[in-house]
Amino acid sequence: MDLFRQISLKNKIFFSTLAVILLLSIVIALLARWSLVSSLTDGLKQQGLGIAYAVAENCRRHILTENIPELTSLMFDARQGEESLLIAYVFVVDKENRVLAHSMVTALPNQLPAANPIAAESFYSIKALKIHAATVYDIAVPVKEGIYRIGTVHVGLQKSHIDALIGRLRTTFLGFIAGITILFFWISHLLAKQVTRPILQLVRVADEISRGNPDIAPDTDCPIRPRFAGDEVIQLANSFTNMTARLKHTEAEIRRSEDKYRSLFNSGPNPIFVLDKETLKILDANPNAEEFYGYSKSELRDMVFSQLGTFDHDRINQMAHGDTAGPIDCVVMEKERHINKENRWFFVKLKACPARYRDREVIIVAATDITEFIEQEAHLVQASKMTTLGEMSAGVAHELNQPLNAIRMGSDYLKMMVSENRPIPDSDLKELAEAMCAQVDRASRIINHLRNFGRKPDLAQHPVRFKEPIESVLAIIGQQLSLQNIEVQLALEDSLPPILANRNHLEQIFFNLISNARDAIIQSRATTPAARSGVIRIGSFRENDSAVLTVTDNGTGIPEDIRDRIFEPFFTTKDVGKGMGLGLSIIYGLVRDHGGRIDIESETGSHTTFKLSFPLMVRQ
Amino acid sequence: MRFRADWNGPKRFFPLLLGFLCGVLSCFSSEDAPTIPESIAGVSDTQIMVGASLALTGHASYLGTQSLQGAMSYIRHINELGGIYGRSITVIAHDDGYDPSRCLANTQRLIIQDKVFTLFCYVGTPTTLKIIPVITEARIPVVGMLTGADALRSPVNRYLINVRASYYQETGAAVGHMVGDLGIDKIAVFYQYDAYGFDGLRGTELALKQYGLVPVAKGTYIRGTLAVEKAMASIADSGAEAVVMIGTYDLCANFITLAKHRGYAPLFYCVSFVGADELARRLGADGDGVIVSQVVPPPRQPPDASPLWGIAEYTALLSKYYPESLPNFVGMEGYLNARVLVEGLRRAGRNLDREGFIDAIESIQHYDAGTGTPLNFGPADHQGFDRVYFTRIENGKFELITDWRGIPRKAGSMETPFQALNDEKSGMNGSVQANKP
Repeated sequence: MDLFRQISLKNKIFFSTLAVILLLSIVIALLARWSLVSSLTDGLKQQGLGIAYAVAENCRRHILTENIPELTSLMFDARQGEESLLIAYVFVVDKENRVLAHSMVTALPNQLPAANPIAAESFYSIKALKIHAATVYDIAVPVKEGIYRIGTVHVGLQKSHIDALIGRLRTTFLGFIAGITILFFWISHLLAKQVTRPILQLVRVADEISRGNPDIAPDTDCPIRPRFAGDEVIQLANSFTNMTARLKHTEAEIRRSEDKYRSLFNSGPNPIFVLDKETLKILDANPNAEEFYGYSKSELRDMVFSQLGTFDHDRINQMAHGDTAGPIDCVVMEKERHINKENRWFFVKLKACPARYRDREVIIVAATDITEFIEQEAHLVQASKMTTLGEMSAGVAHELNQPLNAIRMGSDYLKMMVSENRPIPDSDLKELAEAMCAQVDRASRIINHLRNFGRKPDLAQHPVRFKEPIESVLAIIGQQLSLQNIEVQLALEDSLPPILANRNHLEQIFFNLISNARDAIIQSRATTPAARSGVIRIGSFRENDSAVLTVTDNGTGIPEDIRDRIFEPFFTTKDVGKGMGLGLSIIYGLVRDHGGRIDIESETGSHTTFKLSFPLMVRQ
Repeated sequence: MRFRADWNGPKRFFPLLLGFLCGVLSCFSSEDAPTIPESIAGVSDTQIMVGASLALTGHASYLGTQSLQGAMSYIRHINELGGIYGRSITVIAHDDGYDPSRCLANTQRLIIQDKVFTLFCYVGTPTTLKIIPVITEARIPVVGMLTGADALRSPVNRYLINVRASYYQETGAAVGHMVGDLGIDKIAVFYQYDAYGFDGLRGTELALKQYGLVPVAKGTYIRGTLAVEKAMASIADSGAEAVVMIGTYDLCANFITLAKHRGYAPLFYCVSFVGADELARRLGADGDGVIVSQVVPPPRQPPDASPLWGIAEYTALLSKYYPESLPNFVGMEGYLNARVLVEGLRRAGRNLDREGFIDAIESIQHYDAGTGTPLNFGPADHQGFDRVYFTRIENGKFELITDWRGIPRKAGSMETPFQALNDEKSGMNGSVQANKP
């Protein structure tokens, strides 16, 4: 069947036409020959019969007069002209089958006269005889005088002559078939060619187009309009022309679009990468990427994106293999740390979107350099910390005063005892010394905390439990809180596993939240003079895979309309000069850095709970 | 669908198709014709059988008997000399009475029953024409026929060997003399109503056509009858100045006699087949002035010896074997037929067969048969002599015409306008050479 399919349409038409014609010709020829051969043989026999009858008519007189020479003359006359080929012999016998005369030049075979007797009731008899290895049709006709036979005339027809005639007929027919075949060979060849030529033309044009040559159009001069190709081909040609025009148009559009996006791609201010969806190999990068990362495009093309830096593979995989029927979800990675060719690292914000790029499923990643931003953020954090630090200084002063006072009292006591020359008992001295040391330690601790807090933090993350940073913060601010009649309640779960976090950042977060809680309580006291005792409850517990810390205050609460805005930088509800409004935004950033989240639950005039969730450290 | 280049399939297929068809057609090549066995019938170590069917009885019996005698004179002479390569020639002669049917039956019998080697010395046009199919089929030659019919000469039949000139040549020459030399342009034709007569008529008309003339009258008679009155009357009424007669001696004699009685005295001219001697004998004195064309030189009556040795031999042999007969033109023809027969048998050699015999005759060229004219045969020339002689009955004797201007225009008249010029009977060599038509 493959072979059949491979035969061109032209040859299919050609061969099938030829086969049909041949078959028809053969059938017709066979039929005609069969009918003609039989009628030819019959005709010849009739001819022989006619001759026999004529001879018999003429013989009668001479048989009666026993005129042998005249009979002989008749015999020979019957064989004259064209008949001499057909007629092998003519002879006449008397009623005893004795030969009277014959037309042969040799002796008549002995068995011949009696070989074909006529049946009593018949008018003639035709019989095939074999004479000298040749077959002869002997036609016997009686010569009658009255009703009684006086003799018989025999005419022998050469079967070979009949065969020769039939042979000639056969040859004619074969010649006819041959002629027809050749004619139809030629005609069907032409026909097939004519039918398939416009098709071939279109095929050629289609090939050109698919090869990408848009300038080829079906040649309107080509004979798509032959007289006998019919409308179907013209329709095909027209549709084809339309399709080609459409293709050209579409192709032009695509090219324009491509050009547009290419220029966008190339001139975009940010590095843009095109990654293979599965392997995340870099397929393409725009000039800015080259500039930014320091690699040439060909170098980039050899790299996998992860070689450039960090990348949230999980979310990318999810996006890549997610439900593509729904709206395309892009993944935004807020802060990834990337490294350029000179091994200088920087921070980028990445946005990865799935796309179709030249028939491939790709991920387009746009990178925005946020290093400066991060640095600024760090600066801001630091600045905020400084502000906080400033705020804390009052508290610290209070905090430091106590141990200092205690030390003062002790040293005053010693000064007094020494000046009054009163002996100090050893036990009192020891107690005093211990008390004074303890106070010094306490003061040192406070100062250390302060110093630690103010220090620019390292960015490393370690396994940290909530307990320690909170205790550190409370060590700084606890006294202040109690002075302001704010009770701190701790409900920390000890068995809570650690999280991977930066200790300093956590302290900053907690400090900020506790500060805000304090402020909220103080504000509530301003509005509701009933000096309610403020409570800040700090709790921690495990929730699924997260460690949760809650800071609840019974302050003013956060109205719903500003609940979304509080994390905005420079958004503050405080009066001008009292805080920059950076705290919560920095907290938000810090929490996010740790992969955590902040939730707020608040009721105006009642309470506010900040809920921080951090992912638990995954044990390796 | 990929487009496949045209692999010239149809073009390659074409010769294959042709070859197939040729192969099929060749299967229908014609069958071989059945071969007739090459005949050496009639030849034995001692004998060569020769067959003849001729008019030995009837109104043309003179022709048959005299020609046979002339032939037999020579054959018996040869046999006496030992025959040919030790074989004697035996002639089987059947009488056909100048009847074509009988001639045909005789010929069939000669071939099948008598099994002769060759046929010989046939007489008459209708008879000889009748046997053409049978001798052609049997592939047996006929040597020497007493007839000048055109159908026996044209187209050349391998198995018909004519010795004498044709009627066309005779009539052509005669008309030429009549019109050219004698200035006669009103010529009638009297002919036997059969193939012989038609042949002569055609020859005359063809010759006249050359001069832009047509016969002024035509008269005919049925072979075998004697009724010539009507024919004679119509010719006489036409005022023809000459009558070309294609008939036999009896009818022609009748005609001439009747014409004389009526007082109609044109120039009478007969072709050779008339049987000149018998004609002269029957006419007697009425025969003077009658011109007869001949195809052999006139034989001389003994004791006149002919300077032509062929004539002399015939005369001598005839007197030896058939002393009761006098030399005559017809007999001379028979004699010459026998000369050709014997020469052919001799040339054919010891291994005798029919085809070789015919080839041998065809090889006879520039052969002097003693008639003053050479015998010439060839594959395309199956007529030995082309010469026509003109004779005129004078005093019951045949005189060769040497100068036509001396011929009187009226029969029976001895007066010639040019009598003064006709003072010399020239030698035998002065005879009219007719060209083959």
